Amino acid sequence: MSTQRMTRAQVPMEEMILAPGSTCQGCGAAMAARLTFKVLGPNLIRHGIPCCPDQVSKHPRAGAVFEGGGASLTGTARGLKALGRTDVKAVGFFGDGGTYDIGFQGLSAAAERNENILVITKDNEAYMNTGGQRSGGTPKYAETTTNPVGPNSRGKSEPKKNIPMIFAAHYVPYIATASVAFPEDLMQKVKYAKDIEGFRMILIQSPCPVGWRFDPAKTVELARAGVQAGVWPLYEIEHGTTFKLNYKPKELKPVSEYLKPQSRFRHMTEVEVNEIQASVTANWQRLLKADEMKTVVL
Amino acid sequence: MSYEVMVGNKATAVGCKLARVRVAAVFPITPQTTITEYLSEIHASGELPGFEFVNAEGELSSQVIVQAATAVGARSFTCTSGPGLLYMHHPMQETASKRLPLVMAVVHRGVKSMQPDHSDLMSQQWQGWLHIYVENAQEILDTTVMAYKIAEDKRIRLPVAIGYDGYVLSYTAEPVEIPAQEEVDKFLPPYKPMPSILPDQVDPKTFGAGWGEGDPMKPWQMHHEAALNGETVIKEVFAEWGEKFGRTYGNGMIEPYRVEGADCVITAMGTIAGTATAAIDKLWADGKKIGLVKIRSFLPFPRKDFQEIAKSVGAIGVFDRSCQPGMWGPVYHQMRSTLYDEDKKVPIIGFIGGLSGKEVRVGDMYKIGEKTLKVAKGGKPEAPIQWV
Repeated sequence: MSTQRMTRAQVPMEEMILAPGSTCQGCGAAMAARLTFKVLGPNLIRHGIPCCPDQVSKHPRAGAVFEGGGASLTGTARGLKALGRTDVKAVGFFGDGGTYDIGFQGLSAAAERNENILVITKDNEAYMNTGGQRSGGTPKYAETTTNPVGPNSRGKSEPKKNIPMIFAAHYVPYIATASVAFPEDLMQKVKYAKDIEGFRMILIQSPCPVGWRFDPAKTVELARAGVQAGVWPLYEIEHGTTFKLNYKPKELKPVSEYLKPQSRFRHMTEVEVNEIQASVTANWQRLLKADEMKTVVL
Repeated sequence: MSYEVMVGNKATAVGCKLARVRVAAVFPITPQTTITEYLSEIHASGELPGFEFVNAEGELSSQVIVQAATAVGARSFTCTSGPGLLYMHHPMQETASKRLPLVMAVVHRGVKSMQPDHSDLMSQQWQGWLHIYVENAQEILDTTVMAYKIAEDKRIRLPVAIGYDGYVLSYTAEPVEIPAQEEVDKFLPPYKPMPSILPDQVDPKTFGAGWGEGDPMKPWQMHHEAALNGETVIKEVFAEWGEKFGRTYGNGMIEPYRVEGADCVITAMGTIAGTATAAIDKLWADGKKIGLVKIRSFLPFPRKDFQEIAKSVGAIGVFDRSCQPGMWGPVYHQMRSTLYDEDKKVPIIGFIGGLSGKEVRVGDMYKIGEKTLKVAKGGKPEAPIQWV
């Protein structure tokens, strides 16, 4: 486990992000890229698949087909090993579509083979590259361009896929969740994951002002509200079992504080908000129990 | 140098070992499967130092894995058959567009049955790869090594697919001469990526689909020209192989058999060329002067060679082991296009046979020879294209 948060003095000065970048104002994923690649430094090959944003860092970028993230990282890692260049890291910077949906098979296989790769998933909870269509990472009741609200639809009708737990169930060395609102925690996790041998994945919730429809000045506030409400808990799992909850407020804030600023949830009724509150609370109880037992509880 | 009796699929694996392949990513599919097993044995035995063997979870991933491995500078190999090749379709275009010189064995399995025909590899004509069709186990081994030299040549820098018929060749044992490793090492130098993707060796670059400036059609033109360069490079590499190892396969692009003095020629690809050879001997014995041209490289198509052959023959009978429904056979089309502008008009008749593993016998090829000869002597074909 990443024992303590990175202090500000320990944050590398060198920026690896492309500036000016091609991202929108208030892009959570751009923050995720900046923090992540600061810690990882220059000696890596960044793997990109169609995602938003993609042109994020100064590293050489190996592009692959949308579904090829896991395989592409595998090929790089094995090729580097065959050449004796294991000093160079194979790092993926993928979106939720490339992780939860179209890229899932290849990533699952790479995890099962315990390939020596680091996967950073910036989870903006929909296909933002194509204008905000529903993905397996979209939360329940969120309105997307393929889940419009109408007489027959309340937005997405299914909950978000529990992808960190699914990958943890591959018994890989390291899985973590992180948030752009908790940069020290995020960077410490990246630093810790950097030198572990085997499959590592860090899922970073990356608010998207355009797709989630909120004020781009409030990205960090919104991400923080998500963590404080327990909607996006911060935790780490090692080898599929050992569990640690990294952020444990005495009391969770209500989910409405997270849902309300986002227009993708504006149609939600009180009953629906209560339903989400109940499921978040129940999940939080499980996570607290898991933290206490230091083992995964599903 | 040593000898061993081995099946076609083992010849592929031994060829990979001789080429010092660093990364192989594979997924089993009949009739390619035993290549994956032979490669896993090579890995398990440790006889090929530094060899990385990846059990991929599907053909799509196996193609992407070898792409990435080639990009970092590791010579890589994959293989598949029929439906597996169709599943690879998506990343295959990227392998060629990124100019990654890897080699893939395509052990033919038809798309309408599990039995062999060339419909699998023929369906990938637009991917920008070079396609070489081979006839026997020795040719598989030799071509696997040569394919890396062709693919990695600066004038090409494209992936190469080696097609051979499933079952009849993949599982048929033949005596094969294995060249000495030191000799192969002299023939095939280590692979150097161009350009390198390693962070300490390049300025930051995007590899793959880009948003670059300039004429968006330029990469297409360069790709097309590189594929056409195959005609020159394949001939050079095969000539060098012939000099060093004493085995030749025609000029590499085509392998003519008893073409000199023939009134007409027929063409064949893959194992059917062997059947056709026997038919040609019978035809000559019966006083019918018919030659055979085995087409080894379908992509690029041996245009210059056929333009030369057409000058001395009265008709060409083209055998296709695939059919594009509604458009007939791809070899037939290439042949007609190749000879359209020639001053001397040579009749070209098409024969489609061996689809979905339907057996093609010496007698069938004999008849094809006779029918072609009849046209060469001024007769009319029964139909421009005939089903065998």
